[in-house]
Amino acid sequence: MQNIGIEQISLAVGFILLLIGIWGMLSQKNILKIIVSFTIFETGLNVILVVIGYIRNKTAPILDTTELQTNTAEKIVDPIPQALVLTSIVIGLGVTALLLVYALKMHKEKKSLLINDYKDTKW
Amino acid sequence: MVDPIYIVAVLLGISFSLGFIGKKSENIAGILSLLALGFTTLVSAQWFYNFVTADIETYHIFTTAFKPPFSINLMMGKEEALFTMMINAIGLFGGLYMFDRLKAAGKNSFIALLMLIMGLNVVVMTRDLFNLFVFLEISSIAVAGLIVLTQNTKSISAGFKFMIATGIISGLLLLGIAFIYNYAGSLNIDHILTQNLEAAKGLSIAIFFLMIAIVLEMKPFPANGWGLDVYSSAESGVSSLLSSAYATATVFVLMKLLPFAPENLQFLIAAIGIITFVFSNLMGMRQDNPNRMLGYSSISQIGLLAAVIGISSVIGEYTYFIVISILISHFLAKSGLFWIAGIVKQESIKNWSVLRSNKLLLVLFGVFIFALTGLPPFPGFFGKWELVMHLAETKNFIWIFAVLIGSFFEVVYMFRWLGYAVKNDIIIETKLKAKIHQIIPLLLFAAAAFGAGYYVSSEHPYASLINYLPLAVALGFAFIEFLPVFIKNTLAIAAMAAYFYFNYESYNELQVIFAAIFIIGGILTLIAGYAYKGKRQGFYPFALMMFAGLIGLVEATTTLEFFFAWELMTIGSYFLILRGKKSIKHALSYILFSIGGAYLILAGFGLAAIGKPDISIGILSNIELYAPWIFGLLAIGFMTKTASIGLHIWLPGAHAEAEADVSPMVSAILLKAGVFGLIMLFLAMGEQFIGNISFAYILSWVGVITALMGNMMAAFQEDAKRLLAYSSIGALGYVLFGLSLMSHLGWLTAISFSVTHFMFKALLFLAIGGVVWRLKTKDMYKMGGLIKKMPFSFISVLIGIIVLAGVPPLTGFAGKWLFFQAVVEKQWFLQGAVLFFSGIIAFLYCFRLIHSIFLGQPKDEHRNVKEAPFWILVPQYAILMVIMLFSMLPNSLLKPIGDMLMPYFPDGAITWDGQMATTALGYWNGKTVMFIVVGVFAIVFGWLVFMNRNAKKVKQFNIGYAAERPFLPETTHYAFNFFAPYKKAIGFLVAPGITNFWHRVDEGAHSVSDKFTKIYNGNAQSYLIHIVAFILVIYLISFGGF
Repeated sequence: MQNIGIEQISLAVGFILLLIGIWGMLSQKNILKIIVSFTIFETGLNVILVVIGYIRNKTAPILDTTELQTNTAEKIVDPIPQALVLTSIVIGLGVTALLLVYALKMHKEKKSLLINDYKDTKW
Repeated sequence: MVDPIYIVAVLLGISFSLGFIGKKSENIAGILSLLALGFTTLVSAQWFYNFVTADIETYHIFTTAFKPPFSINLMMGKEEALFTMMINAIGLFGGLYMFDRLKAAGKNSFIALLMLIMGLNVVVMTRDLFNLFVFLEISSIAVAGLIVLTQNTKSISAGFKFMIATGIISGLLLLGIAFIYNYAGSLNIDHILTQNLEAAKGLSIAIFFLMIAIVLEMKPFPANGWGLDVYSSAESGVSSLLSSAYATATVFVLMKLLPFAPENLQFLIAAIGIITFVFSNLMGMRQDNPNRMLGYSSISQIGLLAAVIGISSVIGEYTYFIVISILISHFLAKSGLFWIAGIVKQESIKNWSVLRSNKLLLVLFGVFIFALTGLPPFPGFFGKWELVMHLAETKNFIWIFAVLIGSFFEVVYMFRWLGYAVKNDIIIETKLKAKIHQIIPLLLFAAAAFGAGYYVSSEHPYASLINYLPLAVALGFAFIEFLPVFIKNTLAIAAMAAYFYFNYESYNELQVIFAAIFIIGGILTLIAGYAYKGKRQGFYPFALMMFAGLIGLVEATTTLEFFFAWELMTIGSYFLILRGKKSIKHALSYILFSIGGAYLILAGFGLAAIGKPDISIGILSNIELYAPWIFGLLAIGFMTKTASIGLHIWLPGAHAEAEADVSPMVSAILLKAGVFGLIMLFLAMGEQFIGNISFAYILSWVGVITALMGNMMAAFQEDAKRLLAYSSIGALGYVLFGLSLMSHLGWLTAISFSVTHFMFKALLFLAIGGVVWRLKTKDMYKMGGLIKKMPFSFISVLIGIIVLAGVPPLTGFAGKWLFFQAVVEKQWFLQGAVLFFSGIIAFLYCFRLIHSIFLGQPKDEHRNVKEAPFWILVPQYAILMVIMLFSMLPNSLLKPIGDMLMPYFPDGAITWDGQMATTALGYWNGKTVMFIVVGVFAIVFGWLVFMNRNAKKVKQFNIGYAAERPFLPETTHYAFNFFAPYKKAIGFLVAPGITNFWHRVDEGAHSVSDKFTKIYNGNAQSYLIHIVAFILVIYLISFGGF
């Protein structure tokens, strides 16, 4: 049990969220539920991103105490994935917002939120 | 030079500042955006110019005080400069094209455009993986914003599918990037590449996700339904951005990240690419909606590029040349076509006949179609050539097959579309008007297509040898289309005469003979063009292009020049044939057979160049590997032009429906291009064997059967021009047979018969063309008794058929005499017997031409017809004089050909004594025969005239069918179904088996195409399943499990 720590659990959770998200996008017929599934997928991704930067027993890379300011690299987790995850969240927000706008417009066109009703272009 | 960071800064700055502009000032917003894009285009153009001319060093842009890998850096190298220039240019001109649409949608749409272009610029320049992800996302969000420029159910749901699909794909990309960082500890591309990438399995899986996400961005088959739906439902201008800008950037990303991929993944990507290329083009064939068709074509082209990039380790240093030349063609042509589709606004390609109401757009449309399908002189042509050469060099034959079959599918639907635009008879009563801001981008891109073609060819070691002068003259005629026929015709004749005069001394004997057929023959047929009134728009550029191609064949010293000329000739003649009546079907089948043949020739040349230091024509005579294959590919390729049996079905319609002077051009002259190719091939490669059977022996039977079938089918035609067309098939069968004899006499016959065939076929087609000109019908049963109305045409036809039938005293007899000498010498008696039989059938149809058209009773409605136009008669009588000369003095034709053949076939030559020819089997004196036959004729004729004075004249009246009411009026005419008894006896032989065979091939391909497109059922979730399944399958292939 020594090997299973928070990072392994989080990684597993991240992947499970990712798969749940994909499963939801493939199986749900309601457009809003598909979008929710997409955000679950994104959340899973973000969790994985954070996990990658995590190093056990290290603290956040916020250098507010004098103790942290010497030999900093050995005492903090990798800050880059944390910076990346912020960007990723912002992009996810943008994409989700745009998807919701699309859902709104689709509903205006056909008064339906069923994905099966939107098969006008094909073949 | 301006620092490239300003590209990003200016685009970002302007799009932010647009937020401060008031709601009503879309004009200002638009102009500011275009100015910004113009600035960025200039910046990257300036960099590219300096990279090309001054060879400056790659420039790195650092964004913080830290050096990479601790900071994000961008890079501007030669490739980056070119790609950002393309992206910025499409942003600028696409924005200009869509200006009023964007304006109507509000200033935010300009922001979306700027963000898209900015995002793609960074995608190209960045050296940081995470940065790449961010800007790809920005670009795809911007695209999603632009898709809803047109708001209807289709575009909105397509946009949703696009967002969902790219959401999953970029999630995958992010996952890959995150794990690459985990294992490699860096996000900097160059820094990661310095590490051992194959050390950890985890890293290779991470790289797999990264690469597969990039591949998915390129819309691989079958996980690309989301892309197709966007192409077909978004605003055309947006589709063009997606196809040109977005796809161009993804191509660059693949090039940039390819070093990450281990070799097997690279090949897998290449395989995905080529499968996408073939299948997208296959599915494109059944499309009716122009935008969706262009979508399939876009996806296929990008697939081809992915394939080329994927096998770059095999192709080597030329990868860049191939990718760029294919990409530029695609980039310019696809944007142009999407833009034109946006102006035409027709949902079905059948309705594109409306394009004829705007000549300029029609011309541009043609230019883009040719650029896209990789025809000369556009860059794609050279890319495809080089690709096939390198695939052959590395013995990737299946790849050659895939590239050519995919390209062929694309030709099918692109040329069907072009045919509909030029000729379809659906009339739509709208005058297409394009606004000036839409025309400018189109004109610039079309000009750029020519410019890029010239630039690419000047970079190529062999393409720079191509003589562009004839092509330039032909294109020059496009600019004097406003002049009347008389002036243009004179200029065309003068140009061709001058070209021949200044160049003929540099030709060898064989070249002189064919140059004479092509150029002097061309001039003769052009003379008939004086009969036309008005401007005859669209004739001269293409006629001259065809002649430019023909003379290029004769002059070619490298296989590339030969192939270039071959394609040029095909394009020119395609348009000439398309000018005829009801020509859509025939012109399409002509171009398909021609391009199919051209691809076989290309493959043959590719195989021939294996292991050779250069690509001069001479390498054909020095083949060590795959000789039978090369010979077979080239021979079949050339035989598509000589219309040998099996490959002949395009000919009758194409020749019969053509205009009066085009028929002789394409029949008497153009077919000889195939003969020239075959002669060149035989001379270089000699006899080749498959197993124990000689190719020559097989070809002799092909020739014999072609002759027999051609003549039989000719005999059963009702249409005079179709009759002549089938007779050409037969005549070319003789030529093929003569060549296959591989002896002095055989070749002497074949080549002299080529000349003779030119003369009598031009004569007959012109004469019959003149008759059709006056009578407005081609059906022989609607003619009759024209001997008094059109005596000059009658004499032409009479002389023509005497030559054709090979009856003494005219020059046709010389051909026959030699022919049977050659057969006896070779002892191929069975073939000889069949040929003799088909010669007799030739009498049947010859007789019909005289009997049904000129003899008998004149029709009532033809009481006032006049002789054919003077200018159509002039070339006929010029030809007649040459025929008489060659008939009197046969050695003036035969001796030079014989001398030319001496080095190749020294045995069995004719010995000449004045006009007396002696061979091993007998002798023949042309002059004496002439005198004897003319003497006998004079006596018989005199006797008939003498007897005729007692004959009674009977007035024309018709009581034969009084009180009857025939439902098919033609059945009452004696000339209808003239040879009914023969048809009963042997008609089953000419049942259209081969035509039906090709029809079934056509239908089969289309129904397969139809089946495959059914996977794109329009449901977003199905598309997601495609994507997920695609990833799983590719994963299993690359990491085992399969």
